[in-house]
Amino acid sequence: MIVNTNIKIQTHSLCFYYYKQKVLRDISLQLPANKITAITGPSGSGKSTLLMAFNRLWEEIEGCKISGNVFMNLNGQNTNIYAPALPVLELRRKVGMVFQQPNPLPMSISKNIAFPLRLAHISNKNLISDSVEASLRKVSLWEEVKDRLNDDARLLSGGQQQRLCLARALVLSPEVLLLDEPTSSLDPEASAAIEELLLSLKTKCTLVMVSHYQDQIQRIADRHVKVLNGQCSINHRQA
Amino acid sequence: MRKLVETCITAFSWIALFLLIAALFTLIAYLVQKGASSIELGLFFGDTSPLDALMLKRQVFDGLFPAIAGTLFLIIGSMLIAIPIGVAGGVYLAEYCRGKMKPLFNLTFDILAGVPSIVVGLAGLLLTIVLNRHFPGQIAPCLLLSCCCLALLVLPYLIRTTQTALESIDPLIRKTAPALGASRLQNITQVLLPHSINDIVSGIILATGRCAEDTAVIMLTGVVATAGFPRSLFGQYEALPFYIYYISSQYTGPDELAQGFGAAIILLLLCIGLLALALWIQRRFTSFLLFR
Amino acid sequence: MLRSYSLSEYTFLTAAVFSGMLTAAVFCFLFYFGLPLLQSGQLADLLFSSWSPGKGLYGIYPMLLSSLTLASLSMLISFPVSIGCSFIITALAPIRLRRVLLAMIRVMTGIPTVVYSFAALFFLVPLMRNLIGHGSGMSILTAAPVLALVIAPTMILFFVNSFNKVSPRFTLAAEALGCTKIQKILYVILPQAWPGVINGVLLGFGRAMGDTMVSLMLAGNSTAVPEAVTDSARTLTAHIALVLAFDFDSMEFKSIFVCGLCLYLLTASLMLLFRLSTAYFSKGR
Repeated sequence: MIVNTNIKIQTHSLCFYYYKQKVLRDISLQLPANKITAITGPSGSGKSTLLMAFNRLWEEIEGCKISGNVFMNLNGQNTNIYAPALPVLELRRKVGMVFQQPNPLPMSISKNIAFPLRLAHISNKNLISDSVEASLRKVSLWEEVKDRLNDDARLLSGGQQQRLCLARALVLSPEVLLLDEPTSSLDPEASAAIEELLLSLKTKCTLVMVSHYQDQIQRIADRHVKVLNGQCSINHRQA
Repeated sequence: MRKLVETCITAFSWIALFLLIAALFTLIAYLVQKGASSIELGLFFGDTSPLDALMLKRQVFDGLFPAIAGTLFLIIGSMLIAIPIGVAGGVYLAEYCRGKMKPLFNLTFDILAGVPSIVVGLAGLLLTIVLNRHFPGQIAPCLLLSCCCLALLVLPYLIRTTQTALESIDPLIRKTAPALGASRLQNITQVLLPHSINDIVSGIILATGRCAEDTAVIMLTGVVATAGFPRSLFGQYEALPFYIYYISSQYTGPDELAQGFGAAIILLLLCIGLLALALWIQRRFTSFLLFR
Repeated sequence: MLRSYSLSEYTFLTAAVFSGMLTAAVFCFLFYFGLPLLQSGQLADLLFSSWSPGKGLYGIYPMLLSSLTLASLSMLISFPVSIGCSFIITALAPIRLRRVLLAMIRVMTGIPTVVYSFAALFFLVPLMRNLIGHGSGMSILTAAPVLALVIAPTMILFFVNSFNKVSPRFTLAAEALGCTKIQKILYVILPQAWPGVINGVLLGFGRAMGDTMVSLMLAGNSTAVPEAVTDSARTLTAHIALVLAFDFDSMEFKSIFVCGLCLYLLTASLMLLFRLSTAYFSKGR
C-alpha cells in the first residue's frame, strides 16, 4: 500500500525468474513522483528486467516469472498492477516505455505517433492530428518534421528517431515513463537534447531510467538506484 | 601434401558446378530446340478461334487451353484453402504456442512436409473411397478433391515460412507495440504480420509453384487427359503437368509430341516466373533492410 | 478486450491443430486400409515376395529394392556435386558470381520434375539405349542422374545455409591469419557445419525416395527384381501411380497401401532422424 502520495511506485519483495535463474531477489523500493530515478548496475544485473516489471512487458517474453507486488499510483488511485482484474493493456497505456535502440515502426512519421491512439481505438481524425502535433512539439521535433509527416520514420536521424519514439510514448499522456538507456545509441549532441527533454517532462511524469553514464546521472537524476547481483541499494542524491 | 589435397578439392568443386550447369542447360536447350517452333497461338487454342475459346463459347479439343485453365483453377483453389489455414497455423506456432507442444507441432509439420506427394494423393483417393461407402455413387475424384490434396501438400511449407518469418523478427520490434498498449492480436495484425509480409508472400508464391508443378497428387485425384474446360468443382479436369506426362507415354505422332514439348516449355516458364517473382519480392525486402 | 484475445487465439490454435491432425489422418487412412492385410498375416508375403499377379504373388519387394537403389545411386551422384557447388557458392567464387549462382540454384528448385523427366525421356533415354546396348534404355542408371539433378538444388541450398551460419568471428579470425578460401572452408567452416551436411543428406534422400515422376517416366517400370543398375525397375511411388487402374478390392490395389505405408514410414523416420540429429548437434554446442 502506498501511504505517502509523493510515492509513485512501490515494490514489495519483488523477485524475478528467467527459467530457473533468479534475476531479481526480494526487491522493495519506493520511487518518488515527478522525479527522475536512475537505475544503474553492471550488464546482466537485471536493470532492464526491473523496468519491464513496471509495465508487465516481461509477460511477452518466454520463460519469465515474477513474484511479489508492485503498487502504482495511477489516476490518483493506489493500484496493484499485478491484480488479476487489472487490464494489462490499460496499464501499458499509462506507463510508457522508450528503448535503447530507437524503434520506429515501418510506417510514416505521423502514423508512428498515432499508432498508440489507433491501438486504443481512437478514430477521430482531428483529435489524432492534434495529438500528433502536440506530442511532436513536446519533444521539439515538430519544426523539423512538420513538412514531411508522411515520410518513412526510418529515414530520420538516430537522435530524431529516438525523440520520435519518446513522442510516441507520450501521445497517450502516460503517468510513468520507463527509459531503457535512451541515449546510449546516440551521439553526444542528440543525447543532450534528450536529457533536456526528460528534465522538462518531470512536471507531468514520473521517470525511471536505466543508464550507464555516471555523468548523465549526475546531471539529471534525482535519485539513484544501484542493482547488483539482483539486489538494490539506493543512493539519495543531495541535489 | 595438404596443398595438393586443397588444390584437388578446389578443382573438383569447379568441375561439380560445371557438371550441374551443363546438365541443366543441356536439358533446357534440348527442350527449347524441340519445342520452340510449336509455341504459337494454335498450341493454346487448336482450331478454335481464341476469342470463342476464352468466352467459353466453344470447347477447345486440340489445344492446351483447357489444361492451362485447369492448372490455374488448381492453383487458385488449393491456395484459397491453404493460405488461411497455413498462415493462421504459422501465427499460432510463432506467437502463441509455448512449452512442450511446440516441438511436437514442429515435428508433425516436418513429417507432413516430407510425405511424398503421391502418398498425399493416395490419401485423397482413399478419402473418396471411404465417402463412397457412405454416399454411394455421389463422390468421385474431382477438381475440389485435387485442390484439397494440393493444399495439404503445401500446408507445411506455408506454416513453416510464416512461423520462421515471424520468429525472426527483431525482439525490439516485437516489444514496441505491447509497450504502447497493443493487445497480442493488435501486435500480430498491425506490426508483426506487416513486418514479415514479404517473406510470407514469397513463401506463398513458392507454394503456388509447387501446386502448379505437382503431377503425382492430381494423377490420383481426378485429372484426365481430355475433359475440356473445367466447368464444375465436382468434375474431372485437365492440367498441364499431367498433359505432359500423358503425351510422353501416349503420343501418336510428331505433332502431338511437339505439343508436349510446347506444354513443357510453358509449364517451365510458369514455374520459373513464379519463382523469380518470389525471389524479387524477397530481394526487394532485403535491400530495403540494408539501405534504409 | 480479453474475450477477443482468447477468441483469436482459439482461431489460430484450431488452424494449427487441424493441420496437425491432417498429418495423422493421412497415416490413419493408409493404416486403416492396410489393416486387413496386416491382420491376415500377408504382410510378410507382401513385403518380401516378388510381384507376379499371374501366380498370385503381390509382393512389393522389387519396388522397395528399386526405390532404395535408385535413391542411393542418385544420392551418390548428387552428394559430391552438391557439396562441390556449395563450396563454390560459400567461398570459392567471386562475390558477384556467388549471388548469380545462388539465384540460379534457387530458380532450379522451381523447375517441375515432370519437365526434367520429359526432356530426359527424349534426350537421355536414346543415349542410354545405345550405351547399354540392350533393352529400352529406361533403367535405374537413366533415372539416377536426372533424379540427382532434381534433388541437388535442395541439398545445395541446405549446405550453403548451414555453412553461412558459421559465425563470422571464426572465419574473420582465420582470414586475418592469411588462410586461402579453400582452407577457410576445409579447416574452419566444415568442422563447424558438418552436422548440417548430414542433415542435408537426410533431406535429399527423403526427396529422392518420394519422387514419382522421374522414376515413373525414366526407370522403365519393370516389376522384376532389378539385378543390375542397367535393369529396368519400378519404384514404390511409380507402383502406386501405375496400379490404380485395378479394381478396388483386388490384391493389386491392396498392395499399394503397403507401398504408401512404407513410403510414409520411411520419410517420417528420415525426418525424425533429421530432427533428432539437429537437436543432438545443437545441444553439443
